[in-house]
Amino acid sequence: MDHLASTADSENGSPRETDEQLMVAFTRGSKDAFSVLFLRYKQPLFGFFRRRLADPSHAEELTQETFLAVLRASSRYQACALFRTYLYAVSFKILRAYRRKAAFRAMFLGVRRENREAEAPNTFDAEVLIREAIGKLESLDREILLLREFEQLSYAEIAEVLGLPLNTVRSRLFRARRSLHDLLAAPALPSSAAKVAESEERA
Amino acid sequence: MTITAHSVAPEEIMAFLDGELSIAEAETVAAHIEQCLECAGLARELRNTSQSMSAWEVPNSPSSLDESVKALAAQTAFNAKPARPGAYIRFRRLNWKVRAVIVGGAVAAAIIFAVIVGPVMSDSSYRQSRRSKTVVREQGAEIGDFASSGSRSIDGQPITDQQSKTSESINGPLNGRSRSFSSLVQLAAPGAAADSNGLFHGLGDHVENSFPAGANGASVPAPMIARVASLTILVKDVAASRSSVDALLARHHGYSANLNISTPENAPRSFEASLRIPAPELILAIGDLKTLGRVENESQSGEEVTQQHTDLVARLKTARDTEERFETILTQRTGNVSEVLQVEEGIARVRGEIESMEAEQKALEHRVDFATVDLQLTEEYKAQLNPSAPSASTRLHNAFIAGIRHASGALFGIVLFFVAYGPVLLIWLLIVGFPVYLVWRRYRKLHAGI
Repeated sequence: MDHLASTADSENGSPRETDEQLMVAFTRGSKDAFSVLFLRYKQPLFGFFRRRLADPSHAEELTQETFLAVLRASSRYQACALFRTYLYAVSFKILRAYRRKAAFRAMFLGVRRENREAEAPNTFDAEVLIREAIGKLESLDREILLLREFEQLSYAEIAEVLGLPLNTVRSRLFRARRSLHDLLAAPALPSSAAKVAESEERA
Repeated sequence: MTITAHSVAPEEIMAFLDGELSIAEAETVAAHIEQCLECAGLARELRNTSQSMSAWEVPNSPSSLDESVKALAAQTAFNAKPARPGAYIRFRRLNWKVRAVIVGGAVAAAIIFAVIVGPVMSDSSYRQSRRSKTVVREQGAEIGDFASSGSRSIDGQPITDQQSKTSESINGPLNGRSRSFSSLVQLAAPGAAADSNGLFHGLGDHVENSFPAGANGASVPAPMIARVASLTILVKDVAASRSSVDALLARHHGYSANLNISTPENAPRSFEASLRIPAPELILAIGDLKTLGRVENESQSGEEVTQQHTDLVARLKTARDTEERFETILTQRTGNVSEVLQVEEGIARVRGEIESMEAEQKALEHRVDFATVDLQLTEEYKAQLNPSAPSASTRLHNAFIAGIRHASGALFGIVLFFVAYGPVLLIWLLIVGFPVYLVWRRYRKLHAGI
């Protein structure tokens, strides 16, 4: 598992200051506080978007847009919830808006949704299989699974970000994990990785 | 695996592995996993799935991201004191219940303003416009008084015999309108006088004053005016007021042409009547009626029927002459049977016309002799407990019957609607629904694929 905030704490910022304290300091004019927050969350946020979008340039663009939104909304920030939850809620809204616009463009303007990056020559088959299996999950189950496994959000945080009841999050997460296990356990064809890469490029 | 076979649910095992359980719950689940091979297998499976996902790695964020975000942060102006959010943002932050109350209150205020304040304002503006019109009419009447003859006008409109129908409607107090109304009367009828209340004098004396001599000695017919007045009065007791109206009719030699009393339950009683009052008595009668209560509305109008009456008299005279000639022919001339029959038919036809015209003349003169007063009395409503109201069971029974009737009516109405418009709706559904379905399918497909 990568990009834990706590890990980032020890690596990039002051281990004594929490995210919320840094954000409050930032709202009071401390540019250094924002720099620390940015160092802590730039990679997790980029990973958040990178795993959900095929085009890396779009992932970078949306990461930048998320930080811009945090900058603009800093005067209205209130430390009533975890900063991490707040940040991922903002990210998720931006992602949804992007998906909506992309769907609209694809449907009415005939523009391609993504310029998918060609798979690197050294891409492992295991990674492609994982991506393929996760891609087959139901969209909401997939989001919950990704938020739990990669963003390391708790069940309550996932429920808050997605606006779902806590029990729904738990049952859907269980279902997603079982489905993923079944998909990974199914016998894969030898050339499945190549086929996945090819199909992603076509899409 | 079922819950009945195991003391912990599969989701609890997953939550245990994710560290989402309390200490006590975690101990229970851990103890169960140690004992249950099946649950231990599930835990192992979940762990393996999570570990396999770690194979999906993401490359490091590009350095251009650092530069762009730092540039954005540098451009952002920092304020020591957080800026106060705007009204819209503060509104959005409120609980949805509070927002609903605010929006509902605003809508209710708008409705109250539209329903109550709007009519009041429009009514006041209407009254103001009425007042200004009255002033204009007064000025016009004064000008008309000084006009010698011919083109006398009110509000710039020339008055002819056909257009001399006068009408005045007053809402509320009648102060200050006497001059304008009397001026109108003088304009419309030089031979008629008006009292201080603006009401006509001597209009019922059409027989005596049918052809009075004018000021210059020429034979100018006096105007015959059929008058109609309308009164709406708020009284304290309708029953007592009705007795007063009966006494008033007897005193002024009038009668009631139409009478209607309404006594609804839990609502003010009302009394409506169409009174016929001798025209000379009209002023006094209206004055007496006003004493019954508070006048809410009063209107008066007069229709000049002089020309109509004169024509009728002339046609009647001609018809009578014709009848006399026929009778002379019948008595003095001789002829065969067919000629005699033709003359008798002519006499019968003319006689019929004469009788018809005489009836019309009488009706016309009656309209002039007896003014019509449309009286409406409304009682001041005082709500009170009604001991004679239907019992609760009766009301429940009636409500039940009414409910069944309304439900059956509504169902029948729905059936009728679908019978009448169903085919058209089906056609439109096919025309509109199919493309919408195709677009929706495509949208879902694209949206799910991102």
